[in-house]
Amino acid sequence: MSAAQHQALVLGSVSFVAFVFYLCFLLRSRRTNFSVFAACNLLFVALVFGAVALVDLSGGRAEIMVAVMMELPVVLIVAWVCLALAGGLPAILGNLPAEPVSRRPWLRAVLGSAPLVLLLSVGLATAVGLIWPSPALRVYAPAPPQFVVLKALIMAPECFYSGFAAVVFVMAGRAPGLKRRFYYKNLAFSVGMGCIALIAVESTVFAGLRVWLSGGDRRASLEMLNTVETCLATSCILAFAAGLSLRYTPAVATTLLQRLQTGWLRAQEEFESLEWQAVSTVAADQLSHASDAVVEACRIKGLSESDTQRALATIRLVAVMRDPSSETQYITSDAARELYELQQEILRDDVLASKISWAAGWRSRANEPQTVKSAPLHDALKAALDLVDNDGESEGVRTPPLWHYIVAVSAADAKMIDPAQVSMQLRDGAEHRAAVEAYEDARRVLRILEGND
Amino acid sequence: MNVEAPQRDLRGPFLNRLVGFWRPLRNLSAARSRVNATRSLLTAAQFQEELSILGLSGRRFEPEDYSDALADYLDISIAVHVIPDSWYPELTRLLALSGRLGELRYAERLNLAAIFVPGSLPPLVLTLTILHELGHLAAGDLLIEFDEQPDEDDQHAEEVKFTTLPLKKGKKLARGNPFAEESLREREANLRASYALFAGCLGDDSPHAYDMYDVL
Repeated sequence: MSAAQHQALVLGSVSFVAFVFYLCFLLRSRRTNFSVFAACNLLFVALVFGAVALVDLSGGRAEIMVAVMMELPVVLIVAWVCLALAGGLPAILGNLPAEPVSRRPWLRAVLGSAPLVLLLSVGLATAVGLIWPSPALRVYAPAPPQFVVLKALIMAPECFYSGFAAVVFVMAGRAPGLKRRFYYKNLAFSVGMGCIALIAVESTVFAGLRVWLSGGDRRASLEMLNTVETCLATSCILAFAAGLSLRYTPAVATTLLQRLQTGWLRAQEEFESLEWQAVSTVAADQLSHASDAVVEACRIKGLSESDTQRALATIRLVAVMRDPSSETQYITSDAARELYELQQEILRDDVLASKISWAAGWRSRANEPQTVKSAPLHDALKAALDLVDNDGESEGVRTPPLWHYIVAVSAADAKMIDPAQVSMQLRDGAEHRAAVEAYEDARRVLRILEGND
Repeated sequence: MNVEAPQRDLRGPFLNRLVGFWRPLRNLSAARSRVNATRSLLTAAQFQEELSILGLSGRRFEPEDYSDALADYLDISIAVHVIPDSWYPELTRLLALSGRLGELRYAERLNLAAIFVPGSLPPLVLTLTILHELGHLAAGDLLIEFDEQPDEDDQHAEEVKFTTLPLKKGKKLARGNPFAEESLREREANLRASYALFAGCLGDDSPHAYDMYDVL
């Protein structure tokens, strides 16, 4: 077995072990596009080195072709990593750039040029090798100066791009406020790419030594460099394996967020905007007296601002749901129930329900932001459904709050709902009587105010 | 959404003739780019890239912060005017009858964008309406060359990729060009609004916040 075959056997074995490790421990648990690509690449490397170890291809242009093929997997890895950092992969593989790249278009341009430049340099090196053949696979044999040109043509851009990618990974890992896991992940990838850059430098120096050194010095130096290269290659593989094995599970799942975006948010925005349009265009006149009375009754009973808002939202909903005109056709009991159920789904997740909030107004940071739970609409939907669509079966489960009674009395008085049904639902208890009294007082106050006007 | 294009009234006959020669050539290249340039609707992950450019990725933010960051990036002034229509029910009725929840005006000469929304809108709708209009600014929808009208029948709604239009001079945040079809521009502005709302609420709990730190 020649020295070249021996080296190929060592490298092929390392690659195969790495491939098996990958398959058994990483690929199952951490399947990313890159990990699949790297696994294929490792297998390709193992096969190429295996072929070289089994068949003596030394001499002539075949040796050049095999040597170039052995460089190809690393070149492809560097090209893939650069393209991934630049966000240049096809959309199906995820085409987001690394964070530092997204803010610097020149970085994206440099990294995006990697595949083209690297493959061109490989092509050029192949041409040089085919025109001036050299003993590329005989590791310790003396080589002509053209061999350095061949190596440098591949290694210079490989060193540049892998070094560049290592720096970008460091930049990404140093982002302020980043979780430690991502810091270590990017650091691991940076080490891996740094190793590839060092291997490229080492490989060029190796080629130079084969040209310019002779005798025992050359052999000893080359053997030392070979050891360095093996260490660097092993470190590189381990660093990438460590980087890929570091996982992060976000607090909110992507699928849940998608469901909220397409389900709840869309439904609530549509419902609220249609209700606003219906109230503003059709139900405004009918509502003005009823809502004034509700507000006044709430004030008389000393209810909080949030309860008053809930009462107002409910009377608006009842008015729109009971309005027969075409402008209000979309605000139905079914639509209200569907939205209420979507809101209930969010409220089952305490963390999510507390996080999703929106401002009560533009540049009004003094006011508390609204959440699904705290926004008046949530309770208003339930109350309006109880009043408009209730068959009397669910009553008695919980006692409604006072604002609910006030709305019921007001809606019955405005003929929005059947007064007999309200009396039956609310069972003429103490709360009901208090609401009736407050409502009558409120009407009296409003009549006096109107008389004064 | 309306654009006040700057008036150019110093065109002499020579310039007019030059423009006459230039237009077919420009249209030819635009047509070609229109055929070639297609893209799909914005994804939440892609929106995160835009947030990263604005320095908001992984942070909790309010629509005001998004507006300020967008204004800084685009180098324009963005003014949001909340109309106090609650005091004037007739005004609210007219606004509601118009069927538009918000209006975006852009004065190119003044580098000024103004968003008008009725203050009587429910808070969530108000927030989403403002974010929707800001989404038009981010997408560069106001920079479309409006003489480049798309063919009505060259797209089908079920297609995953949609035709885009070239832009005149100006800055946008989005990576891709605006869609040729207005309905798609509106749909994407809605998407941007919902992504912005959730990204602002969740901050670093967003599942997309770290996509750009995990590219491999």
